Amino acid sequence: MAAERREAGAALTLLGPASLMMVAMLIAPLAFLVRISLNRFDPTQLMIAAVTPENYLRFFRDPFYWNILVTTLRVSIIVTVVCLALGLPMAWRLARTTSRWKSVYMVLTVLPLFVGATTRTAGWMILFARGGMLDIISRDVLHGGGVNLMFTESAVIAGIIAINLPFTLLTLQSVFEGIDPRLEEAAASMGAAPSRAFWRIVFPLALPGVSIAGTLCFILCMNAFPTPVLLGGPRFQMMAPLLFWAFSSDNDWPFAGAIAFILIATTLVLTGVANVMIPRRYRAR
Amino acid sequence: MRKTLPSTPGSSRPSIPDGSGASGRPGAGDDGRGWGLAVSRRTVLAAAPLLAAPAILTRNAQAAERCVVGTWGGDYARLLRENIDDPILKPEGVDVIQDVGDVNPRISKLYAQRALPRGTDDIACVDAMNGYRLNAAGLVVDLTEQQVPNLKYVRPELRMAGFVPHIFSAQVLLYNPATVKNPPRSMADFLDPQWKGKVGMLATGGPFLLQAASLLQSGTTTDFDKAKAFMLKLRANGVRLYPETDNIAPAFKSGEIDVGMIWLARKVMWENAGFPVASTFPKEGAILYVSGMVMPKNAPDKAAAYKYMNALLAPPAQQGFAEHMGYLPTVTDAPLTGKVAEQLAFPKPMPKLVPPDYAVLAKAIPDLNTWWLKNMQNGG
Repeated sequence: MAAERREAGAALTLLGPASLMMVAMLIAPLAFLVRISLNRFDPTQLMIAAVTPENYLRFFRDPFYWNILVTTLRVSIIVTVVCLALGLPMAWRLARTTSRWKSVYMVLTVLPLFVGATTRTAGWMILFARGGMLDIISRDVLHGGGVNLMFTESAVIAGIIAINLPFTLLTLQSVFEGIDPRLEEAAASMGAAPSRAFWRIVFPLALPGVSIAGTLCFILCMNAFPTPVLLGGPRFQMMAPLLFWAFSSDNDWPFAGAIAFILIATTLVLTGVANVMIPRRYRAR
Repeated sequence: MRKTLPSTPGSSRPSIPDGSGASGRPGAGDDGRGWGLAVSRRTVLAAAPLLAAPAILTRNAQAAERCVVGTWGGDYARLLRENIDDPILKPEGVDVIQDVGDVNPRISKLYAQRALPRGTDDIACVDAMNGYRLNAAGLVVDLTEQQVPNLKYVRPELRMAGFVPHIFSAQVLLYNPATVKNPPRSMADFLDPQWKGKVGMLATGGPFLLQAASLLQSGTTTDFDKAKAFMLKLRANGVRLYPETDNIAPAFKSGEIDVGMIWLARKVMWENAGFPVASTFPKEGAILYVSGMVMPKNAPDKAAAYKYMNALLAPPAQQGFAEHMGYLPTVTDAPLTGKVAEQLAFPKPMPKLVPPDYAVLAKAIPDLNTWWLKNMQNGG
């Protein structure tokens, strides 16, 4: 009994500071934001204290805002699928390589993270713009009609993939590193082809990590801000830029607060659903 | 590098303190009697408050003359420093501190601090529409000519309760002189099929573009139904929207657009930077953009704020902003000379300059912004 109490005390001591920090720095501001999202906006007074669902109803009753949520989900799902499809083979190869260049490959993987997302997006702008590299190659080298990918959904997807892929890759690589290569050797010794060994042995074992990598990628994409703004242009809408618009065009904090919570709730629900879809025995514990 | 005078044995010369952590007490090589004075530690401790007194008093004196200005950053903040803070207020003993940020957080802060007896900013830079809103909300002081003598020189059409206009510009029709032989004379010309897909506008300029369209369609700035109908026609003619003002100049250079609508000040800046742009005033009238400053009712140092407001209307400050940013002076006693005078001169006959109807605009702007987002910024 006394030992249990001592253990509980130790746990409290270890968890206490971090928990307090979480409450102070995350939960309390979020609770404050919930309160703001229930207020009423007024052009002159900015915000009138109230408890009204009208900001949430404004979003859900208007197909324009719904479509923005759908676009955000579509882009996030495409980006997540592409990042996983590209990241899985790369991460597995990286984890299994015994090359003396392995550390160089790892540095190359992490290198894009050394440059800020906005700066990288500016690089994509140079590539995609009218008069940019792709346009010049298309017109002058290939004698085609020119390419202007700026302000398109494809440009946004390419830009976000470039930002998210290193995160996905690093997560997956650490998962594969944790799986004993002797399992694959055992499968091979019993006649399984490498692809069969991967899909029947390695992938199920890696599934919890794959789901974490996918979730990370999905969340990053749902909240993407600079890439949709810079590469998508004024006529491409996603949730995070919409949130900023509500705040920056009119100082409409209540509606911006409601959009923030709709975005958080959607991301949480979909992440939870994706986790439920993974068979129980493979879920991350 | 530390600079100390060597303490020679037998001398009583102290080392010179240099702020590098070396104490000013006598060097080890002196005669052991300090600076030749027998001062006990207790005496030194007792005298410490007296020694600190000048610093404390000076600090209070400085605080009494401190003006905190909430402003945009970049060129605007730099020009405030170069034309107002350093040349005018510093000699008057006013220490200016810039609180740099975007306009909406600044406005939110004024609302959030409204119940406090003392706010944090003495002055906040806002555009005229927000100046009107803040005054209507009762957050700012309606300054008088007794408090700010230079207010008497403000152009009559720019005067507004609670708001001191600092700079202004007019919305003009822009074109590329290399490719456009017959420049547009009215916003209606943008519907000409020859400019299909060749008209460029600022995505965030919705309310001002709608006012210009209203002026074209009805002669007033507030007929937004007609304005919206016109903008939809313009959209059907392939108007291009750019996320930031500075994206428009390269679009002229690359040939992506031939005509557009922007502030005269931007045209001057781009022209000076070598972009191929020229402008005409719309014959239906040009909407004015006015930027200025407000003084919160709970400004911590009102006397310094009065001095600041007066300084920003002083002719040299106004001329400095015109020269470097291409904005027109808001006062009548700051004549321009040289190249900037030519660039900012109004054509003859004098074009119609139309200030917004702020009372209507302040109420309508949330609807205008939402309409613009849904109808002009939707889809590809």
